[in-house]
Amino acid sequence: MRNIVAAPRPPLGDAKPMLDAQTHFEQIRDRLPGDLQARAAHLAAAEAVGLPTRRVESWHYTDLARLLKSGQATPVQAVDFSSVDAVLAHFEDGVLQAPPQAEGLEIAPFAGAISSAEAPSSAYVMAPAHVMADYNQALAQNGLLAEISGPLAPPLVVRTSGAENVHLAHHIHLAAGAKAVLVDDHMATGYANVVWDITLGEGAELTVLRSQQAGHQVGLSRVSLAAGARYKSVAMVSGGALARHEAHVTLKAAQAHAELHSAVLGHGLSKASTHADFTYTIEHQAADTSSNTSAYNVLDGHARGVFQGKIIVRPDAQRVDAQMQTRAMMLSEGAEMDAKPELEIYADDVVCAHGSAIGELDRDALFFLRSRGLDEATARHLLVAAFLEQVTSHIDETGLSEIMRGLVDTKINALLGNPSI
Amino acid sequence: MSALLEIKQLHAGIPDKPILNGLSLSINPGEVHAIMGPNGSGKSTLSYVLSGKSGYEINGGSMLFDGQELAEMTPEARAIAGLFLAFQYPLEIPGVTNMTFLKTSLNAIRRGRGEDEMDAASFLRLARAKSKALGMDDDMLRRQLNVGFSGGEKKRNEILQMAMLEPKLAILDETDSGLDIDALKTVAEGVNALRSPERGMLVITHYQRLLDFIKPDVVHVMAKGQIVKSGGPELALELEKSGYAEYSGGTEAPAGGREAHA
Ligand SMILES: Nc1ncnc2c1ncn2[C@@H]1O[C@H](COP(=O)(O)OP(=O)(O)OP(=O)(O)O)[C@@H](O)[C@H]1O
Ligand SMILES: [Mg+2]
Repeated sequence: MRNIVAAPRPPLGDAKPMLDAQTHFEQIRDRLPGDLQARAAHLAAAEAVGLPTRRVESWHYTDLARLLKSGQATPVQAVDFSSVDAVLAHFEDGVLQAPPQAEGLEIAPFAGAISSAEAPSSAYVMAPAHVMADYNQALAQNGLLAEISGPLAPPLVVRTSGAENVHLAHHIHLAAGAKAVLVDDHMATGYANVVWDITLGEGAELTVLRSQQAGHQVGLSRVSLAAGARYKSVAMVSGGALARHEAHVTLKAAQAHAELHSAVLGHGLSKASTHADFTYTIEHQAADTSSNTSAYNVLDGHARGVFQGKIIVRPDAQRVDAQMQTRAMMLSEGAEMDAKPELEIYADDVVCAHGSAIGELDRDALFFLRSRGLDEATARHLLVAAFLEQVTSHIDETGLSEIMRGLVDTKINALLGNPSI
Repeated sequence: MSALLEIKQLHAGIPDKPILNGLSLSINPGEVHAIMGPNGSGKSTLSYVLSGKSGYEINGGSMLFDGQELAEMTPEARAIAGLFLAFQYPLEIPGVTNMTFLKTSLNAIRRGRGEDEMDAASFLRLARAKSKALGMDDDMLRRQLNVGFSGGEKKRNEILQMAMLEPKLAILDETDSGLDIDALKTVAEGVNALRSPERGMLVITHYQRLLDFIKPDVVHVMAKGQIVKSGGPELALELEKSGYAEYSGGTEAPAGGREAHA
């Protein structure tokens, strides 16, 4: 893999524009497309509630206001997707550089985040009401409105870069039978509030690969799956002071299948440490639906990993199969992992399982590898890579899996070479 | 002729628990030595101390391998010098394929010896040939390291590693436990294929049967962290009949009286 090293950005400072959304709105309102009044209403609704505090259950482990003030300049490396002939939608400081073009892909001009009322299809899941989504609807300066009508041959890379505070609202719709791979390449060093509304028609298949290397991101994905649709998300957080990845996945009809896998390589000391939070609600509304979730966290320094996974099985959703796994490898005393799986099951004929294991690097495995000639650094690298491979192995596309493995490798080198970066 | 391995009065253990109590043992190039002894007598501890596992304290004595003091070497340096331990309980490592692991290991050792790394094609040929000789199919090379392997398959895989790395001294810690009779023969063939005038073997076992296939030059009885008796292959036959009672002060378990486990 070739990496382009971008110049380190200046520190985020105290993230005032985010904490003061009203001022931010005034500053950028002239540049915002769409209905300003509707935006103002969303802002008022958001401000009435305010940023989530730790008293909000799903934010218990993620103190947003504090984390927005943390962080320091991190060098980010542009991942090179040239080997897979991707089409690129590059948002630099919120500005789309050029609309992506490919057969089967239609891009509509952005005219503000779409609210429930004006959603083009009832399939959009706009619920649940979400204060961060309100902020997003008020402030979104851009977003990708993509309609994918058939099999999309090239992967669609959505790259987010820059140091400014951005709000992006993406809508991705896959028509029945459509198939696509989307890469969410997050290398922005500023604050980003990103909402992904994703709807999959009957039998549609979407794979989303995510990488976050830096910055403060509050991401919200709302995904709905029609009959036979398949959604797979494979996420890799390798840096950033805040990586909140929240997903609400609704399996609406039979044979819908969702998979969410995440890998975290957290590092850094005190305010420069990674905070990676994956919070999911997976709702099985229909019978014969399935989901599979796994979270692998490698945590060094003062890094913190959070995993909250709630599986809901609605009363008539029989024969649901839902699996959830959390694993953490703690490389330092100062690291922390909070894992909270939850099951809410209202049907009786279901198979749901969750497991959680938190441990250190396996000393016996380390000795075994050294006894086979690997020096300690190589053995540690191999064990960390093997651990995270259990996430990257879910990427079926050979070219992309090579790229993601390359990224993981580079990041492990950076981490084990200098664990306190 | 100088010994390949020369252990003198080795005292070692874990904090507050001596396990090896003045153990002496000498293996010359070309020799196969077998160690038998009751459960808990310190056989695996000896193999770990020789190969450098952390957590053990060495409180006295010496262990010279090819004239070098092992205690002063890292585990990887010992491997590079030609020491190999086939583990009693091989580990599973999900996320790394057997093939990748073997290649990383072989090349680490070659680099350590100042040799060139083996190119991918030659490596693949070698790995296939060696695994075939051990009755393992290619699928086992592609699978994750020991994950889902049966007990016997794990043991075979240890021997595959040994065959690839061609060590000067191989310590086999109960490699026969958990092997069916055919596998036992195949594994023994693998071990015998490596026998040469320069190499040595230390075979830890509870079963005389293995020694029918891998003929030892010397058989030792280990009890309470010491070698208490040494003799020829006939000693193993004797132990099979009479057990260890005479060595361990009343331990009733006869050799081979324990359930085989992998
Ligand atoms: N890390 C350890 N912690 C506590 N006790 C240990 C440890 N390692 C070894 N021992 C103890 O030291 C003694 C020797 O153990 P060892 O595994 O070397 O025996 P062994 O001769 O290989 O037995 P077996 O025939 O059952 O394999 C045992 O009593 C064992 O419980
Ligand atoms: Mg033992």
